[in-house]
Amino acid sequence: MFELSTDVGNLKELREGDFSAYDAIYLGDFSCPEYPNNFSSHAELLAAGLEHVHARGQKAYLRLYAVPGNDDLAWVGDVIDTALALPFDAIEVHNLGVLRMLRERGCTAPIHLGVFGNLYTHETAKVLKDHGVTRVYPNPELSLDEVRYIAEHADIEVLVPVHGKIPLVISETCFILEHSEEGAEGACGEGSCSYQCTQEHWLKRGRDDGSRADWSLKDTGRMTLSGKDLCMVEHGERLAGMGLKHFYVHNKGEAPGYAAAVGRIYRDALERAFAGEAAGDFAPALDTLASLAREGLCNGYYFEGAGQRYIGRS
Amino acid sequence: MVPPRSLRSLPPKGAQASLGRPGARPGAKLLAPAGSLEMAHAAVDEGADIIYVGPLGFSRRPYESEMSDDAIREAAAYARSRGAELRVVLNTFPTPYDFGRFVDKALRYAADGASGFIVTDVGLLRALRREIPDTVLHVSIGSGISNLADAAFYRDAGADVIILPYRWDVAEIEAVRRASDIGLETFLFETVQTGKLCPGKCIMSSYLRFRDWKEVEGNRDFHGSANRGAKECYRVCQANWEFGAVGSDPVEIKLRRDARLMLAQLPAFVAAGVSCFKLSGRERPVGMIRDLVRFYRRAIDEVAAGAADLGHHTAELAELRVRWVREKAKRVDTLMDRAASYVS
Repeated sequence: MFELSTDVGNLKELREGDFSAYDAIYLGDFSCPEYPNNFSSHAELLAAGLEHVHARGQKAYLRLYAVPGNDDLAWVGDVIDTALALPFDAIEVHNLGVLRMLRERGCTAPIHLGVFGNLYTHETAKVLKDHGVTRVYPNPELSLDEVRYIAEHADIEVLVPVHGKIPLVISETCFILEHSEEGAEGACGEGSCSYQCTQEHWLKRGRDDGSRADWSLKDTGRMTLSGKDLCMVEHGERLAGMGLKHFYVHNKGEAPGYAAAVGRIYRDALERAFAGEAAGDFAPALDTLASLAREGLCNGYYFEGAGQRYIGRS
Repeated sequence: MVPPRSLRSLPPKGAQASLGRPGARPGAKLLAPAGSLEMAHAAVDEGADIIYVGPLGFSRRPYESEMSDDAIREAAAYARSRGAELRVVLNTFPTPYDFGRFVDKALRYAADGASGFIVTDVGLLRALRREIPDTVLHVSIGSGISNLADAAFYRDAGADVIILPYRWDVAEIEAVRRASDIGLETFLFETVQTGKLCPGKCIMSSYLRFRDWKEVEGNRDFHGSANRGAKECYRVCQANWEFGAVGSDPVEIKLRRDARLMLAQLPAFVAAGVSCFKLSGRERPVGMIRDLVRFYRRAIDEVAAGAADLGHHTAELAELRVRWVREKAKRVDTLMDRAASYVS
């Protein structure tokens, strides 16, 4: 009927969290190889993660590092080699050079293009299909109508995020560490990381006197996310009606329990929508989701505007 | 008419072009901005091998720094008459609906004398290679290339030239040279490897605000963002933000450091295989671009003649850097204030 997926960075989070609302799990944090025991950078942990997910009847997708420099290609290659010997249901890439590496190494698993793959057009989707890509995550700037257009005109699966903070920009280095006392003494990735990203960090630009817009962004170190949480819980009927089937909840940077609470709400809302049942009252779900979103909710770019607006069902 | 100077050390992917046309200067080429006809003339007059122009709404710049189709035709004629070439920047991402219009525009510019294009979208790259086999296709910085495997991918996809990240050193350039025969282009900038990646991996600006072009361009049927040709990127990364962990005192901070004009690297970069140096600045004053093209023309010619040390230009470079930064600071504040004033 539909697939609901989310992301989990490492084995500890996978074992301790409740991801039962999801049909599939993207394993790994594609933004930071230094993230503790990150599946994306620890080949020796892949088999255990995969086994855990498959044992629960879910699909397991492996995320590869999104912005490898030349020095990263060797270890990314090692992760790929390990992954290709395991029965992953798909492998996600964000970098076209890594996509080429996958093909060179004989990858026969489905390949997904991640959020930083710069997918804006059906013509690009067609090029990527020739390289083995079966699913794309269209750039978050695209509207729902454009996403559907790409799915239909490239005949390809599209991943549609329905909740969570939108990835806005990624870095090759850690912004948190660079601006800490430790960062002044040692470069990121050289053993100096003390995982300060376990604390929430925010970028703010606002003045109480109204002279500037009141803006906020969440920073996870190597990635900046939207301050507000994308929320499409009121629009399940529309998503189902558009023929979209692969939905996703962003979990990166969120507290334990976030993915479970959000997943339960969307599992229920989407099942109702796909069964053609009346949507019911969204107020309790919205209250819960709003309580998990420090800076409020938004619809991203889905309804053809800048990313911060929220448009209700009415 | 004087034969055009050629960038290429490689034939276009789909054509058997000659290596270095008659009359071409030896060595690496200088690619200069043309944000207006006046700037196009100045850049050509000062010795740019190639100028690049952006059509209104298609090249990631405010409309004041882009050009009408008539002006592009005139700039192409001026460049060709003086032995230079013209590239057209089509480096916004098309919306799916708008894809055909990008191809149509490219065909028109090619007929009007454009010798190549600077593009971002992989699908557009393939379409232009198919439709205009003998054109020169540059991959824009907006593609966010980060490694030598990317270079090989884009060569396979039909590109002739890639722009390298600001941050790369000589060893990395040599490595990509060994991995692919694609042409290598670098900005005339240097920077340190910190902060956010831009452009190519950033949509912060459109998350906060954007405005479409409609009132300027007529009836384009797309919805904006700087990546897709809305009026402008607000340079979010260069404005001051308050940054900190929840519960701690924030610090005021910019999201990345500014790049600065470079020079000393030129001889080593050329030896490592860089075939084209790109000067940005379509939005800058014409006088500044005129002075910069003149400066880098001299430097590149000296390198072609065998110079290994450009230290005698240090004082002039310092002065140009000051002018560059002063002008940029004014622009960043203007953009963020403009963004804040819009209704989302």
